[in-house]
Amino acid sequence: MSDAVAGLAELVDAELTPVLRRLGARGRGAGEQAPAEEDAQARAAVWGVLAELGVLDLIGTDPAGLLAAVELLGTALHQSPLLDTALAADLLGPAWAAPVPTGTRTAAVALWAAPVGGPLPSGAAGPAGGPDRPAALALAGGRLSGRWGFVGFVRDVSDLVVVGDGVAAVVDPGGPGVVTRRHDDVARGDLYEVDLDSAPVRDLVPVPDRAGALGRARLRQAAYLVGSCQGALELAVGHLKRRDAFGAPLAKMQSPAYRLAGLSARVAAARAYVRAAGGAGTELAGAPLAAGGDDVLAGAQALLLASRLAREVSAEAVHLHGAFGLTEACEAQLFYRRAAVDTTLLGTPTELGRVAAARLAARWSG
Amino acid sequence: MTATADRATVRTDRTGFRAEVRALLAEERVRDQVTSVARLGPTAEVERLDVYGWLGERGLLAPHWPVGHGGRGLGPAEAAIVTEELTLAGVPDDVHVLSIDIVGTFLLRAGTDAQKRQHLPGLAAGTSLATVLFTEPSAGSDLAALRTRAVPDGDGWRLHGVKLYNQKSQFADVALCAARTSESPVQWHGISLFLVPLRTPGVHVETVPTMTNEQFTRVTLDGIRVGPEDVVGPVDAGWQQIGELLLLERTGIDFHGKVRRLLDLVLRRAAERGLLADPAYGPVLAELDAALRAAHALAWETVGNLEAGVSDPVLASMAKWYVSEQTRPVLDSALEVHGPDAVRSVWDPHPVDDGLLEAGFRAAPTHRLASGSSEVMLYLIATSGLGLL
Repeated sequence: MSDAVAGLAELVDAELTPVLRRLGARGRGAGEQAPAEEDAQARAAVWGVLAELGVLDLIGTDPAGLLAAVELLGTALHQSPLLDTALAADLLGPAWAAPVPTGTRTAAVALWAAPVGGPLPSGAAGPAGGPDRPAALALAGGRLSGRWGFVGFVRDVSDLVVVGDGVAAVVDPGGPGVVTRRHDDVARGDLYEVDLDSAPVRDLVPVPDRAGALGRARLRQAAYLVGSCQGALELAVGHLKRRDAFGAPLAKMQSPAYRLAGLSARVAAARAYVRAAGGAGTELAGAPLAAGGDDVLAGAQALLLASRLAREVSAEAVHLHGAFGLTEACEAQLFYRRAAVDTTLLGTPTELGRVAAARLAARWSG
Repeated sequence: MTATADRATVRTDRTGFRAEVRALLAEERVRDQVTSVARLGPTAEVERLDVYGWLGERGLLAPHWPVGHGGRGLGPAEAAIVTEELTLAGVPDDVHVLSIDIVGTFLLRAGTDAQKRQHLPGLAAGTSLATVLFTEPSAGSDLAALRTRAVPDGDGWRLHGVKLYNQKSQFADVALCAARTSESPVQWHGISLFLVPLRTPGVHVETVPTMTNEQFTRVTLDGIRVGPEDVVGPVDAGWQQIGELLLLERTGIDFHGKVRRLLDLVLRRAAERGLLADPAYGPVLAELDAALRAAHALAWETVGNLEAGVSDPVLASMAKWYVSEQTRPVLDSALEVHGPDAVRSVWDPHPVDDGLLEAGFRAAPTHRLASGSSEVMLYLIATSGLGLL
């Protein structure tokens, strides 16, 4: 375990985790209303700690360590530009990524060209948009126009990275021609619609391996979701142990106990996939495990497994909390609402299955 | 690489080791034997295979045993590689699991020097077979309820009881047998483990037909005498040893290999017919493939624990449960992708893939029962893992 991950593991403890889970929290329908100033300061402080611990250093240098760090942050449901910054570093290369460890260079990545509209049937003609169907960028004279949805933390980062077909454009998110509107999504997070009207492009970078970068991003997202599954599971187990019903702790009831046992095994399997896809176990087994070496397949499969689980585990966690699970005070509903968002941003499980199937077809016919 | 008795000093190129095993199993004589086994008659059963001897000659059947006992002085990882390559190659592995992974490896850990000298070389060479006699008509998952008695007789005991739902007893030379040596209010106290010769008066073996290609056996122990030299481990302390023993076989490596082989048949067929590109089939198959890869990775995490000498029965239970739960969905997908062709047995006029899917369908229920049933695994996870119940 790297020092950065060890340090992070100490930080994400029972005392700090509930605080991290509620950073950035807003009420329903909050619209453009920002969280309190103290919240913004706290988020900036956490980002600074990530830099100090060396977590940001892991980007581009220690993929397995970054997966472990992201998983830990997932247990705390911590939201930040970390994952987008890692994707941007992968897309744009070392020159862009050099200042990332200082915490001063961050990114919001725009993948969903609007109108978003969701997946299309196989082979259907239609507007491109989404991680697997990047649109051609409307560039003219070094300026970019267009609309994108579901861009995370765009108001808090140094660079907006718009991913097109074979190329990525870097734009100043606070610069001219950039208008952002906050989504009011079920998780009440920091997702934005971004309108670019002839916004100056700082840099236009060829992206020859967009699919591979997306695969690696999906693997990191899967790690995050595995962590969030673990967090939700622990909430559910803890509640069963504390809550009495019919004269005994709920923990003595077989039905919920066996369901949670099965879910925890599935989480362990998803975690094993993520770690193996990141290289773990290769030396032990004398062969790559998971889909190691094939970032496209590994990312799609890992995220598919983790996404299905995240929806199931978080729903189960809410359910097992009973009516309390529906209240704002209950942390389980935070996981439930986040799962709906985090299991779609890099492709839905169905889309991921489609990507994986195409990859398998190529392998079997190759 | 120099094999020594001190495994800790051995460094192995596991990629090269796997390649060596795979190369042997790809030899024509092995492929011919695999094919002939797949095409055995409906009442025949796999016994001792030449391939075990070919592996044994090179110390590959039990690579994790010391050189002096017929192995190569390697570790659990190499043993798992052999198990995995055997199952992926379609070599029936029940005999290997019983003789090497369970009985032999247990003797290596808990047996006396005399017991090791007597049994291990033959097992490692593939020239003798061992099995396990635990389950009884009234004691399956609840092994502590076993009724076979070891009645004191001089300095030894006479065994009386019936063991049922065991495997390969009709072929094996010796069995590791659990019997009650003492009565106790604590059910799991008073059980001992004995090495019992099977081809001897006092041991009656009958086969019990099953729907699979492997029969069960019913073994009646009719007063066979065993001495103190036949006890494995401390008397009355067998329950703990059984627990440790079951952990040795509970990695999921063997189950994964069997299911992976079946899924690969399905994927190949789906690819040939363009079904991987079909939205009704492709994503479902891709998700099954993902789950099986996850099962594989989890199985190797348990092997990693064995390699590091770390005991994690919860992770082992998770690995076994998770991989065995993939079997039925994979076979469902076989029926979906192959249609009626999937149910042709090897004895059909026009079998498909040597009837492997049909045989797999019949064997599938064993995955959720053998090596600890799914319910027992969930119970272990819920109690020892989550602190529930």
